[in-house]
Amino acid sequence: MNNIFAVAGVVIKEMYRRKDFYVLFVLTVLITMLMGSVNFFNDNRIVRYLKDLCLLLIWISSLIIAVTTAARQIPAERESRTIFPLLAKPMGRGEFVVGKFVGCWAACGMALMVFYFFFGVIVASREHTLPVGPYFQAIWLHWICLGIVVALALLGSIVFAAPSSNATICLIVVAGIMFAGGHLNGVALGMRGIGGTIVYAIYYLIPHLEWYDVRDLVVHDWGAIDWLIWAGATVYGVLYAGFLLGMTWLLFRRKAFA
Amino acid sequence: MIRLTVIFLLVCCFTLATILDAPFSRLRASTDSSEGVLTALMGDSRRMFANHFFAMADAYFHSGFYPTIFDTARAEEHSHLSEEAHEEEGANGHDEHHEETFLRTPNDWIERFGRHFYPTVHTHLHNGNEREILPWLKLSAEMDPKRIDTYVTAAYWLRTSLHKPEEAEQFLREGLRANPDSYEIMLELGRVYFYNKKDARVGRNIFVLAQDQWLKQDAAGEKPDPGVYEEILGELLRVDRKQEDLKGEVTDLEELIKYSHSKETLEAYLKELKAKMANQK
Repeated sequence: MNNIFAVAGVVIKEMYRRKDFYVLFVLTVLITMLMGSVNFFNDNRIVRYLKDLCLLLIWISSLIIAVTTAARQIPAERESRTIFPLLAKPMGRGEFVVGKFVGCWAACGMALMVFYFFFGVIVASREHTLPVGPYFQAIWLHWICLGIVVALALLGSIVFAAPSSNATICLIVVAGIMFAGGHLNGVALGMRGIGGTIVYAIYYLIPHLEWYDVRDLVVHDWGAIDWLIWAGATVYGVLYAGFLLGMTWLLFRRKAFA
Repeated sequence: MIRLTVIFLLVCCFTLATILDAPFSRLRASTDSSEGVLTALMGDSRRMFANHFFAMADAYFHSGFYPTIFDTARAEEHSHLSEEAHEEEGANGHDEHHEETFLRTPNDWIERFGRHFYPTVHTHLHNGNEREILPWLKLSAEMDPKRIDTYVTAAYWLRTSLHKPEEAEQFLREGLRANPDSYEIMLELGRVYFYNKKDARVGRNIFVLAQDQWLKQDAAGEKPDPGVYEEILGELLRVDRKQEDLKGEVTDLEELIKYSHSKETLEAYLKELKAKMANQK
């Protein structure tokens, strides 16, 4: 366990030393403030467009942070040859993978806390209210979603040669799932023959990241989701991230380093 | 040699500046308005964005309950947003919950489970929360100033639920500057004066302008919307009634009967009015 936390600690330190997070956060703040200062028909109680925009920027920023952080972990260790002393110590490859995952996931969680704190400040200043339950659920589900994305990017870093190609492919896959993942069953039903069966199989196999995007519920003040449903989504996310990490470990275990 | 080259380059720059200044000034003048800049930057794609922003306003009006491109589109020509805006004055059914839905029965457990994470109940904004649609309508108008529905819809909500007739008038006048022949915008502007500013005289003048514009377009064979003409005549009748102008009421009613679907009722009312006029004489 100590080994896992040691590796995770290095990843977290790396995140706050790099400038990615700061740049994305400042951009989010600037764009949100700029849009917040626009006057629409002399009505300063209009707030939903601002919540929508701010949440969209938070989602984009967090996905970029998660994918780029996770995608470069193992290739960077390999390139700088620091992976050899790490694995030469009494540390298993499984521990190394889990350590990297925990570090990336925790770093994403910290970034999310900062982003959502800003979002909370914006909402509280405009709406003079802060619905704690729904916001907690939204942050939690967002974090679980990032857990799956981090695990996916770590798996990609074993499969693909370069971190850039891995990051690009991961971002495309994640965006594709969030946009169309929940509708693949409808597409499959409209297809005939083996094509429909394959699309339906893909629908069951992919991680349903679209569940974790509850922006519409938050923006339009729909209130909290049933806590059992929330717990179900959490279990699904943890299991899926576990499955992806297991795959990463299996591939990483057989990987030969020159 | 280097000095000569530098001087030559400086002379070239000076000459080029004097030549290019005039065309650049003309270009700046032509793209001075926000519309000009947008057109230069985005071309015709801004219409696509305008439609998207209008759809966003509709989605906000339904608090996020809105079909995606994957959902079966309902066979509707207008959004609920503009439908509500086109309703007769006095109707206030915008907060009721409709049973209709674009969601089909879930095909599997994933779809059933996934429905907990987005709005699945059909509601409309009410109690002044309609203000939330306004940014999208404003952006839609910025993107495509020729989109008349945007001005009419925004003005309807501004003058009714949000009690902002000044802002409604300002926005409609912006729309009128971009679409000087729009009888729809004139009709809505007339309503601002008649219902909100309680100025029947100016309201009537604007309704008459809208009527003239509709008739002009009809005569030119442009097939203007007969439903809107019916609305214009309806508003003219209300103004006549308010001003107790029996003669005007009869004339406008006779015109309305030509286009209305409920001719029988209106004809009975016309008889009643004519009898009233005869009694007055």
